[in-house]
Amino acid sequence: MKADFLELDKDEYPGFIETLRDKNEELNAFNFIQNSYGEGKIISVKDNICVKDMPATASSKILEGYKPGFDATVVRRLKENGFRVIGKTNMDEFGFGSFGLNSEKQAKNPFDEKYVSGGSSSGSAISTAIIKDHVSIAESTGGSISTPAAFCGVVGFTPTYGLVSRYGLIDYANSLDKIGFMGRNAAAIKEVFNFSLGKDAKDTTSLERELIDNNSRKLYVINGLMKGVNPLVVDRFNRLLDRLISLGYTVEYKDLEYLDYSVPTYYIISMAEASTNLAKYQGFKYGFRLKDFSLDYNDFFKSARKEFGKEAKRRVILGTFIRSQSVRSKYYDKALGIRHLIIRQMKKLLSDGLIISPTMPIFTPKIEEVNDINPVEAYSMDMLTIPPNLCGFPHVSFPYFYEKGMPMGAQLIADHFNDYSLFSVLSEWEQNFKYKFAGELG
Amino acid sequence: MKIGLEVHVALPTRTKLFCSDPAYENLEEVNSNVCPVCLGLPGAKPVLNKKALEISAGIANALNCSINKKTWFIRKVYFYPDLPKGYQITQLDGSIGLNGYVEISGKHIRIRRVQIEEDPAKIIREKDYSLIDFNRSGIPLNEIVTEPDIEAIDELRDFMEELRSILYYQGVDINQELKTDLNISLSENRVEVKNVTGVNNLLNAAKYEIKRQESLLNEGKEIKRETRTYNADSGETLSLREKETEEEYGFIFEPDLTFYSTKEIPLSEAIIPGKKAREIALRNGYSEKTIKELTYFDRKNLDILSGLKSDEFKKGVSLIEKFASFNITDYTKEDFYRMIASEFNQLDKQAFKSVMAGNPQVNEADRQEIKQFVKDMLVDDPALLSRIKEDGKIMNFLVGKIKKKYNLSANESADLIKEVIKSPSVN
Repeated sequence: MKADFLELDKDEYPGFIETLRDKNEELNAFNFIQNSYGEGKIISVKDNICVKDMPATASSKILEGYKPGFDATVVRRLKENGFRVIGKTNMDEFGFGSFGLNSEKQAKNPFDEKYVSGGSSSGSAISTAIIKDHVSIAESTGGSISTPAAFCGVVGFTPTYGLVSRYGLIDYANSLDKIGFMGRNAAAIKEVFNFSLGKDAKDTTSLERELIDNNSRKLYVINGLMKGVNPLVVDRFNRLLDRLISLGYTVEYKDLEYLDYSVPTYYIISMAEASTNLAKYQGFKYGFRLKDFSLDYNDFFKSARKEFGKEAKRRVILGTFIRSQSVRSKYYDKALGIRHLIIRQMKKLLSDGLIISPTMPIFTPKIEEVNDINPVEAYSMDMLTIPPNLCGFPHVSFPYFYEKGMPMGAQLIADHFNDYSLFSVLSEWEQNFKYKFAGELG
Repeated sequence: MKIGLEVHVALPTRTKLFCSDPAYENLEEVNSNVCPVCLGLPGAKPVLNKKALEISAGIANALNCSINKKTWFIRKVYFYPDLPKGYQITQLDGSIGLNGYVEISGKHIRIRRVQIEEDPAKIIREKDYSLIDFNRSGIPLNEIVTEPDIEAIDELRDFMEELRSILYYQGVDINQELKTDLNISLSENRVEVKNVTGVNNLLNAAKYEIKRQESLLNEGKEIKRETRTYNADSGETLSLREKETEEEYGFIFEPDLTFYSTKEIPLSEAIIPGKKAREIALRNGYSEKTIKELTYFDRKNLDILSGLKSDEFKKGVSLIEKFASFNITDYTKEDFYRMIASEFNQLDKQAFKSVMAGNPQVNEADRQEIKQFVKDMLVDDPALLSRIKEDGKIMNFLVGKIKKKYNLSANESADLIKEVIKSPSVN
């Protein structure tokens, strides 16, 4: 299957870029837009993935001015296959956030600027929504692809952990980080995904495996996951299930143990890892540089690290606490154990079917609504996207309903290496449901 | 008194521990062996050097450790300018080797673990500022952690000698200055002397620290639990900081790496040089001390002496001593066997080397005969002597003649001619 990608020739490109820049003023989709033009199908890349000689800031002030001298493996592979990068997309700082607001420039929903875009891959979702033939290379740790895809009305695919090399990805939580893709349909994503796959000698955790499509028509709904979902969202979701049943799918309701622990387990592991990954930002070698060399080491580090945003600081502090000797066995070690239990439970179910749920337990919130909620409430919004991310299962969020002009997304989860089954179901869905895109461009 | 050590050893690999930069080439040119991985740039990921894993397994095996079937890495988090990632990749529970020992004079000094870790960068301190050289960042190390089983300075010396020799036989460059953390306690409170470079400094630091702690105890004072540093110039240890609690390093599993199976690593029986030397000495009725001196840092000598029969042993030892006295270090086993068949004790350095080069040995009787031959020539032709002195070609002619007639080396021939010319009977 081949998707049509936008291929702009020299004459069209400046006009396209100009329009994109104007649009970007409103929505804050990009941190950087490439002016020069070249041949090829266009992709955008989340700003925590290195593209040679383009800025890579992960939307953090601490990386301001940093231009890596190398391509991430996924970028290199795509460039070699004729793709070119038009820019780096906005995100929550280092991936820390579910709404796209933890960035100097808050991302806005292309359907209505009063609403959030979702995060952390906010810019990848917005750019996919506003650029017609284009795929965005995004990244998910706990839901950073599904969430913005759902809120912005595009398809967001997160592959099995390890299938796409992480070399060149600025780490959030290494055991959870997965590079994935956003596009306007399954076929477009599948094409780019296929070029990105494969073992990479530069990433120990990358994998080379044959991918499976088990053609299952069995869908599981997990009772425990549905109990925290807004009842009106449940109602819209049930209509989706009805349509899928009419297409010949069966739906079964199941209970799964330990899923209640997935949110705390995820945040313990991700914060523990994140707090070590952020230790390298010291204001010495790249990005933000502190010039005051009269300070002693400790004060120097402290001054440099003031440049982190609020959520980054919160995660450094919590993560450091979690790793401290007095509580490590109570939190970190236990979380690693529970993660394995959850994987085992879910794997059993996924052996003969797919798990389906709404992507988010709420309707798309307004920016002002999210600004008011506390961190724990915000973290709990990830309850549906965390389980597949915690376990490294491939999953996809796709549009299935439009509520008062805003899109809603549902999420399908497959077993490890069953990535292609998601595309099969989705292709069938796309023949029966027409996605609507906001503010089309190009 | 209890002494425990953490000894850091650089491993003999071509490349660094987690990237493919050279580990030891080009070190003079600062910041030349660097890449995104060992600079800790965002996005770079470590990939384990399998050779380092194999060498470490060999070392752990030689230190009588049990080899972890699966070995893994952790992040040790602390801030220091030489640590580009803000954490060091090292090992703890998942260490390659656990619970071993080194035997010195019948006593076991227990080894708690052998861990693989990356060296931080090097800080070059100038007067008003410091510079960082990342060539060293990521060089593979083993940290060898002992239990506090060392109870005297002599034991410390013997332990370090034995350890260095064991490491030598695992291919480690033994000329490197080992960096050691010295834990030493004469009371309940442990004092750690950090980062002592070289064995001599280690012994001196330990001696100083014992004296210091002893005199505090004699005065009825308390020994504080603290971290100290050793100043090699003054020979003193100085307090760095008091230690209320253990340092907090916030260890977590290194999620960029995986579990590494050690099952496939080929391990042969390790050479334990102390044991070998004792066996050789016993078998041949020789002093253990002499054998140790000859074999501890010389694999060739160990090979030779282990293979010698008892009746040749004494001669073999004196031959090795002969090599040493002539400063010949690059001899091969073949050289050794050629020389042991000769009457090497009668040879001066020149003749020794000539025989070593494959020329037949000239014995004293031959030498007399040759000298007589030269003398006779001089008597037959009285002008010859002055011509030799004036014309180098004549000398060469004579050398050629003797070389051919007696099958000698040119040097030896020339030496003999010169001996005759200089002798009073000729002049």
